[in-house]
Amino acid sequence: MDLRLTDQHQKFRDALRTWLRTNLERPWREELRDPRATEDSLMEVRRAWQRKLYRAGYVGMDWPVDWGGRGASQVENAIFEEESARADAPVILNYLGISLLGPALIHHGSEAQRRRFLPPMLAADEIWCQGFSEPGAGSDLASLRTSAILDGDHFVLNGQKIWTTFGPWADWIFVLCRTDSNDRYGGISFLLCKLDTPGVTVRPLRQMTGESEFGEVFFEDAHVPRENLVGQIGEGWRIAMTVLAYERGTVSLAAAVKYERDLACLAAACRDLGRTGSAVREKLARLLVENEVLRANGIRMLANLADGKVPGPESSIEKIFWSELDKRFRETAIDVLGPGGQLQRHAADARTDVDWAREFLWARAGTIYSGSSEIQRNVIAKRVLRLPQV
Amino acid sequence: MKFDLSDDQALLRDSTRDFLHNESPLETSRQIMEHDARGYDAAVWMRLAEMGYLSLLTPTAAGGQGLGAVELAVVLEEMGRVCFPGPYLDVVLAAHLLAGADANHPLVGAITNGSSLVTIARQDTAFSGASAPAVAITHAHARGVKHFVPFAEHADALLVVVDDGVVFCRSPFAVTPMPTFDPAQRFCKVTFDHPATPAATLEGLRLTDQLAAIGASAMLLGIMSRALDVTLGYVQTRHTFKRPIGAFQALQHRLADMLLKVESTRSAVYRAAWCFDAHDPDAHLATAVAKAYAGDASRLVCGEAIQMHGGIGFTWELDLHFLFKRAKTLEQHYGSTEEQLERALAATAY
Repeated sequence: MDLRLTDQHQKFRDALRTWLRTNLERPWREELRDPRATEDSLMEVRRAWQRKLYRAGYVGMDWPVDWGGRGASQVENAIFEEESARADAPVILNYLGISLLGPALIHHGSEAQRRRFLPPMLAADEIWCQGFSEPGAGSDLASLRTSAILDGDHFVLNGQKIWTTFGPWADWIFVLCRTDSNDRYGGISFLLCKLDTPGVTVRPLRQMTGESEFGEVFFEDAHVPRENLVGQIGEGWRIAMTVLAYERGTVSLAAAVKYERDLACLAAACRDLGRTGSAVREKLARLLVENEVLRANGIRMLANLADGKVPGPESSIEKIFWSELDKRFRETAIDVLGPGGQLQRHAADARTDVDWAREFLWARAGTIYSGSSEIQRNVIAKRVLRLPQV
Repeated sequence: MKFDLSDDQALLRDSTRDFLHNESPLETSRQIMEHDARGYDAAVWMRLAEMGYLSLLTPTAAGGQGLGAVELAVVLEEMGRVCFPGPYLDVVLAAHLLAGADANHPLVGAITNGSSLVTIARQDTAFSGASAPAVAITHAHARGVKHFVPFAEHADALLVVVDDGVVFCRSPFAVTPMPTFDPAQRFCKVTFDHPATPAATLEGLRLTDQLAAIGASAMLLGIMSRALDVTLGYVQTRHTFKRPIGAFQALQHRLADMLLKVESTRSAVYRAAWCFDAHDPDAHLATAVAKAYAGDASRLVCGEAIQMHGGIGFTWELDLHFLFKRAKTLEQHYGSTEEQLERALAATAY
C-alpha cells in the first residue's frame, strides 16, 4: 500500500495549482452570483475558461499527443478534477464532447473524423451534446427507436431524443440510432449530426431548478452524410458502452473537495445562526464522516488507476455513493439552515458562499442521470455479486 | 500509488487466513464462545504468540515484529471473518501502550510470548446507576472501580487509565463478570486496591487509542464481509416462488448496498491505517471516520443479513447472530461512534 502521489504526479498537481491561482479570475460561485449573469453569459464564461485551459494543455489531457492531448493518464485527469473543484473553477463547456465523444472517436472513429472534429471540440468552437435517451428509452437504452435509414450517401434520421444536456447550446449531437429494428444491440449505430441540419429541432426543457440546461431534440427526415457514421453500421452499442465507461471515471475526489468546502460553509452558517446544539453537531459530524469515506473511496480508485487497474463495475458503487450522499447532504443543509436556506441566490439575505437552495434541488438529478441509482444497483447485483437473473 | 497490499502484507493476510481456517474457523469459534469458560482457546493463543502475532506492533529492538497499523488491520480483518473470540486486540494494544513508554519493560516480553495476559482497564462509569468511585492514585496505590475490563478474570496484570496517565497493577484482582450478549468478549468489573506503577502517558494512550479504532474497524470489516458472503450464498440456494430469492430485485438492491458499505469501509479502514503508519496529517480524522463508519455499516450489513435469512436468521443455530453481536460490541468499544464523531469534529474547524 502506498497512498502518496508519485513525485511526478505531485509536480503535476503543484504546477496546476499555481496555474489555477494565476489564471482563474473569479471562482464559479461568484460568477453565479453576478447580478448580470444569465444562462447564456454563464455558458460563455465556461467557453472562455475551456479555451484558456486548452491553451495551457489542460483539456483532453489523456488523449494522445497526436490528437491534441498530452498523452497523460486518468490519474492526471482525476487530479485535474480535484484541483479544479478545490479552486472552484467552472466546468468546461464542452465536457460531454471531451469526456465522451473524444475518446469514442479516438478509439472507433476514422482518421478523417478525428481531423475534422477533435480540434474544434478541444477549443470549444463546436459544442457537443449527447443523443442517447429517448422518451421511451431511458434506463433500457437499447430499446431506442430513433431510426436512421441509409439512402445513398446519407442517412435519413427520424425520431426524438430527450434529457439532452446542453442541447440548447450545442452545435452538434452524437446520436445513437436504430439501423436494424430486428437486432436489439447489433441494430444500433452511432451518428454525428449538426443541429442546424434541416429537419432537426431543439427545444429547451425547463428543469425543476428553473434552468434549461437540457432539452429535447426532434429529427424529421434529417439528412446525415454517411461519413458521419462512427465505426461500422451496427457498432453503435459497443461504442456507446466504451463511451459510458469513460463517463464513469473517478469523480469522488472532486466531489469530496467540493463537499468539504460546502460543509465548512454550512458549519460557519450554523455558528452565525447560533445553531450549535448537539443535534446539529451530530448531523455535521455524520456528513463529515461520509464525505471522508467518499474521499477514501476516491483515493482508492486513484491509487488503483495509478497501479494500472482499469475501473470496472465498481464504479457503480462510486456513482451511488456520491449521488446519494449529495442528496442527504443538501437535505440536511436545508434542514439545519431553516427557511433562510430556501432563499434564491439573488435574494438580499441569501448566504453568499453556497447557493443552498439550488444545490438542494439540483441534488435530485444526480441519482437519475448517467445511470440511475436503481440501474447502478442492478449492475452491481449482476456483474459484481453475480446474482441470479430472472 | 497503490491501494493493494504489498507482497509481505498479502502474505501475512494469506497465512493468517490459512491459520484461522485450520485452527479457528467460525464453527470452532462458536464452540469456544458457547462453552469455554475462559473465552478463548489457550493452545491457539500460544500458537499466535509463537508465530509473532502478539508482538505485531512492538518494535524490533524489543524483539517484536515492528509492524504497523496496516498489518494490524490485515490480521484483524481475518479474525473478524471467523468471529475470532478472545483478547487479541486488547493484548496487542496493551503491549503497544507499554512498549511505547518503555520498549524494554519486562512485561512487554511476557505479554508477547504469551506468558502474561495483560489488557487495558479504562471505563469508569457503571451502567446500573449505582455510583462507583473512579480509580484514583494516592502514594502509588490505586483505589477505585473499572467497568467492562476485557478478560480481567484471567489477566496477570492490567494497565489502568487514570486522570494523568496509565498505571499498571498486578493480579490478583477482585472481579465481577459483566456478561453481555457477545460471548466473544469477556468483560469484568474490577475493584482496585493495588500498588500502582506508572506505565504510560496520556499522550501514549492517544496513539494506542488510534490503533484501537483502526483495529476494531478492521475487525468490523471482516465481520461484515463474512455476513455478506454468507448471505450471498444463502440467497442463491434458498428458493421461493420457484426461484432463488437472490433473483428478486427487492433483495438484489439491498445486497448491492451491503457491498457498497463493505467496500467503502475497506477504503476507509485501510486509508486510516496507511495514514497512521505514514504519520500523515489526516491520520486523526481518517481514524475517527473509519471507526464511526465501520460501526454503522456493520450493524446495517449484519442486520440485513439476518433479515434476508428470514426465520433461520433469528435462530441460535445459525452463526449470524454471533457476527451481529460482535459488531455491536466493537461499535461501542475502542472509541464509540459518539466519541469518534467528536474526534472527527475536533479534527476540523467546525
